[in-house]
Amino acid sequence: MAAELFRRGFSDHRRALVGWCVGIVGYCVLVASIFPSIKGFSGFENLVQQYPAALKSLFAIGGDITTGAGFLDTELFSLMLPLLVLALAIGSGARTFAGEEETGRLELVLAYPLRRRSAVLAKAAALAAEVGVVCAVGFVALAALDGIIGLGLDLGHLAEALLGIAVLGLFFGWLAVALGAAWPSKVLALGVVAGYAAAAYLVGGLHDLAGWLDPLRFLSPFWLVGQAPLENGFRGWGVLVLAAAATAVLTAGAFLVERRDLELP
Amino acid sequence: MAAPAIELSGLSKTYRNGVQAIRALDLRVEAGEVFGFLGPNGAGKSTTIRILLDLIRATGGSAALLGLDSRRRGVEARRQAGYLPGDLRLYDRLTAREQLDSLARLRGGVDARLRDELCERFGVVLDRPIRQLSKGNRQKVGVVQAFMDRPQLVILDEPTSGLDPLLQAEFRELLRETAADGRTVFLSSHSLDEVQHVAHRIAIIRAGRLVDVDSVERLRERAVRHVTIAFAERVEPRAFEGLDGVRVEGSDDRSIRLSAPEPALDAIVKEAARHRVVDLVSQPADLEEIFLEFYEERDGG
Repeated sequence: MAAELFRRGFSDHRRALVGWCVGIVGYCVLVASIFPSIKGFSGFENLVQQYPAALKSLFAIGGDITTGAGFLDTELFSLMLPLLVLALAIGSGARTFAGEEETGRLELVLAYPLRRRSAVLAKAAALAAEVGVVCAVGFVALAALDGIIGLGLDLGHLAEALLGIAVLGLFFGWLAVALGAAWPSKVLALGVVAGYAAAAYLVGGLHDLAGWLDPLRFLSPFWLVGQAPLENGFRGWGVLVLAAAATAVLTAGAFLVERRDLELP
Repeated sequence: MAAPAIELSGLSKTYRNGVQAIRALDLRVEAGEVFGFLGPNGAGKSTTIRILLDLIRATGGSAALLGLDSRRRGVEARRQAGYLPGDLRLYDRLTAREQLDSLARLRGGVDARLRDELCERFGVVLDRPIRQLSKGNRQKVGVVQAFMDRPQLVILDEPTSGLDPLLQAEFRELLRETAADGRTVFLSSHSLDEVQHVAHRIAIIRAGRLVDVDSVERLRERAVRHVTIAFAERVEPRAFEGLDGVRVEGSDDRSIRLSAPEPALDAIVKEAARHRVVDLVSQPADLEEIFLEFYEERDGG
């Protein structure tokens, strides 16, 4: 019965999801098609090496940018791809419970014979499916481009890279679901989680330059999944820790939602 | 004896902002009744209903539906309960058919025949997106979903808002059938008119407290009549003032206007018969008036 909420959640965001997939594939195609003109250009490599250390660190410019893996790590995986997936996940996570509560639609749904926590979990599962679809589409697109353009990618690393982003999206998305379940405000869920994501991104990028940030790196999901995943693969234990944290956060949300009043618009 | 359809004992709710929405409500609604829950806006009707459905939590006392505690056995209770919210919000992008299908699956499946019958009866527009429907047409979708699983208890919060008079009559008929079937209807409203022709008993709630619970007939009996008597000669109004429960509202040369409860009518007629009566008009009991009296009486408090 709560399965219906999974169905509803997924199909309500269906059109948006198609949009995200088209956008992500388009961006991948754009970035990858620039690569052939960069490949043989050694001046670019020299230019990049002269970038300030902070800039290189923040955007994970470390490897060889004239290889396909190094180029895509810098242009796609350091910022844009995680950013797109996170925007989808956080938006959808804040909307699916707190947002629907604010519009008053949960009133009737939760008067039906199901537990609130089942509703939260079903909606979280729908979000996981959305993130999964987008990341799978990203994987297929890049694997195809690798074949067409010859990016020289390691498909194992590519899978790890997108799995890392998927777990990243799952964590922040479920955090938004959980906050919305615990507290009836979409704006709060959106704001807090987006703020945390931005701070975590900075910490993940700059922790080794700003020494005092270094101990905080464990709090950054970006650091946990690892940088430059196409060259290095993901940080396996970090991804597991992040997946566990995502589950813990969601469990807390499912627990807290039972303890409060449902708000009317 | 069967468990009451609804039982509230000492039910209280204080919101976090300190507002005491309801205070120590005790109420028992029997199976097979159409029960009217009347009160002005903000009296605590929706609060009571939302506690019954476990959407909000009481801060004192308890509520049970069909003998099941609304908190501990809420899911079981709600399996046998239909609900029409006071402010119905549906999924605007779905068509009414998709919305009803979705809600049916959320219940774990319903008898499609009954649902189709209800849709036909109320003329639900099935194949247009809900956002394109008028308020009345949305409300019909709400009515159908509340009844489509043949629930033992139907809880309706201001249900006829937006329905045209013809459908309101059809709706009242549906309530009667439901009660005749041994099932229970709990009907909340701020308008007496919405409930007086269909409810067996009425509870009146005001500022979070129950003011009165009685059958519609008894309320009607207690309601005052307005009696106007015209005489062929001058008559002293004082003679009527002495009668039990009678108030003289006004008089002029040859007519007297009185207000009196039903049991006092006999004495009035006998007193009037001592003179030559030209005309006598007794206006039927107006429940609205006592209802308003209930509302106003405690306004000073």
